[in-house]
Parts: sequence; structure tokens; C-alpha cells
Amino acid sequence: MNATATAGFDERLHDLLRIMASEGIRNAADGLASMIGATITVADPDARLVPISEIAALAGGPESEAVGIYLQVTGDISGQIMLVMPYPKALELADLLMDEPPGTTTQLGSIERSALAEVGNLTGTFFLNAIAKRLKVDARPSPPAVMVDMVGAVLDIIVAVCGGVGEHVLLMQGQLMRDDRAVDLDFWVIPDPATLAAFAA
Amino acid sequence: MEAVIEGNSLAVGLGEIKVSREPGDVLVAYGLGSCVAVGVYDPLTRVTGLLHAVLPERTNGADPQCPKYVDSGIAGLLQTVEQLGALRSRLVVRVVGGANMLALSSFKQALNIGERNIAAARATLSGLRLRVSAEEVGGNKGRTVRLYVANGRMNVRVLGSETRDL
Repeated sequence: MNATATAGFDERLHDLLRIMASEGIRNAADGLASMIGATITVADPDARLVPISEIAALAGGPESEAVGIYLQVTGDISGQIMLVMPYPKALELADLLMDEPPGTTTQLGSIERSALAEVGNLTGTFFLNAIAKRLKVDARPSPPAVMVDMVGAVLDIIVAVCGGVGEHVLLMQGQLMRDDRAVDLDFWVIPDPATLAAFAA
Repeated sequence: MEAVIEGNSLAVGLGEIKVSREPGDVLVAYGLGSCVAVGVYDPLTRVTGLLHAVLPERTNGADPQCPKYVDSGIAGLLQTVEQLGALRSRLVVRVVGGANMLALSSFKQALNIGERNIAAARATLSGLRLRVSAEEVGGNKGRTVRLYVANGRMNVRVLGSETRDL
């Protein structure tokens, strides 16, 4: 199964995933913009395949503090989506969402957490809509779960679930910009083998 | 007993086993969530091993000592430390991890991997008649665990709390 999953990511599929990442993240930014009533643009969207063993290092090291927003996808295609950001980035994002000067938010209380959950909800839904529209399939996200913990611990969820499926996950990255302020977003998308086949078709 | 402040850290990644008998070494599993770490230490030979397992039970066809799974990983861990001269009856065995990172959400039912990992560790160790001397398992916080080869000390770090010995 692993061999199939890896072999499925040929050059053509990679290009397609890049396009979908770009559309998905732009769509997510539009959703976010309408939520906060400001113009949000996206810079440098990209998609690539990453070995599971490297994802913690890419997210700042397994012990560093991070915020993870997790959604499950059901419908014609299924899988998981996780947004991961380093803790300081989550504080910046909270400032950006609530239109506060950078550095205002110093910890994540329940209001900040629910704002971030809403970001996960919106970006996840809009992102998924873009993919579903392109593939002409039905896909629905679950309500989001927000975790604040060590990167390794947050990522264990997706690692455990794909432990029996494949050795790689799809990483989609983009930068959200509001005026001159920017926040990097990483989406880890873990499609199940059937979904991957739908991507490749 | 001399306290070891910091030594040569050997990271034990997901689905890995690391062993050592070098007194300066520290075996470290960073950021355990639902994963489980099993540490063994032979006080006489100082042979020390740490397993970082992801899932409870090995699937059909996986290596019987595959470190990705708790059950086969424990088998692999024991064989590796025994090859280095550890004696099973002397081993100090400790288990850390198995948190439920999604404790407060609707995913709990579907993804109870932390609890299943703990159960698999207990069952496998008990089947091998190995007594667990200490545990820090469950809950919903990630943990970093360090195991010091020099003296078998194990400590656990949780974000926002003091590092404490186990």
C-alpha cells in the first residue's frame, strides 16, 4: 500500500496538487477575509510530499510549542486535515484576526482559541470546497479540534492514523497577508488511498 | 548518585528503538502524544534502551520486532538490550505517554489510540512477566521523556510544568 501511495505521486499528480493547494488556500483566505471583514491575500502557495518522519522537524522540532487545528473529512473522499503553526505564530494570527497591534495577544484564552478554531473551520471548509469542486465530489469537514501542545504530540494524531496507511503526507503551505502583516500556514493533508486515487484520476 | 545534568542526547524518533551503555548518553523521545515510550535499564551493566512506538499492535506481515508497534517494539527492545548484555530479570521498566490529544472533542471514540497503546504496553509486558516500576500515562498533554544511561534516571517534561523524575 505504501508503494502505491508513493508511486501515485508522479510529476503530473504533483502539478495537480500544487494547483489544488493554490486554489484551496486562496479560497480559504477569501473565507477568512469575509469573516474578519478585511482583505486577505495569499503568497507562495505550494504543495509537496513529505515523509511522516520529517514532519515534526519541519514544524519547528518535536518539543516546540505549537497549535494544531484538526478536522476529519468525510464524503466521497475522506482523510484528515491539520493546520499546524508555531505558538508565537498563533498569537500573531490572533492579533491579526482581532485587529490588534502585533504583540497584544500573549496567551491563548478561550476567545482566542475559538477564533483559531473558526480559522480552522473556515479555511478547512473553503479549502475542501475548492478541491471538491475541482474533483466534482462531495466532501465535508468535521467540527475542528484545537490543540496547544508540543509539535510531536499534536502530530501524533495524524501519524497514528496514517501509520497503517502510508509513509508520506501531503503538505500544503501558504502565507496569509493582511496589509503588511503575514502569517505562514501549514496544512497537512492526509488523504486515504481511495482519495489519492481520486486525485490521480 | 551523581546527577547527570546534560549528556550526549540521542533522539528516539517515531517508530524507533535506541540503546546505549555509554554513561554520557541520554536517550530522548521528544513530544510524545498518543505514542508510548517504554524505557528499560539494567542497573548492573547500565545497558539502557528506549522504544518510541506509534500504534498498539503490529499488523499481519509486519516484522515481529517492528518498533512502530507497541507489542512488536517491546519484543525488539528486549532482544536488543539483551544482545548488549542486559539481563531481563534485572530490568527496570517504565512506561510513558499514551495521551489522548483530542480528549475534549467528538473524535474520542474513533481515535482512542493513546489508551490502546497503554493497554498494549501493559499486556505485552505482563505477558513477558516484566514488572513496570513506574508509569506516567494517559491524560491529554504531550510529554518529552529522557532516560539517562549513567544512572537510569528517567524524567518527564510537560509544557507549562516542572520536569519531574519518574
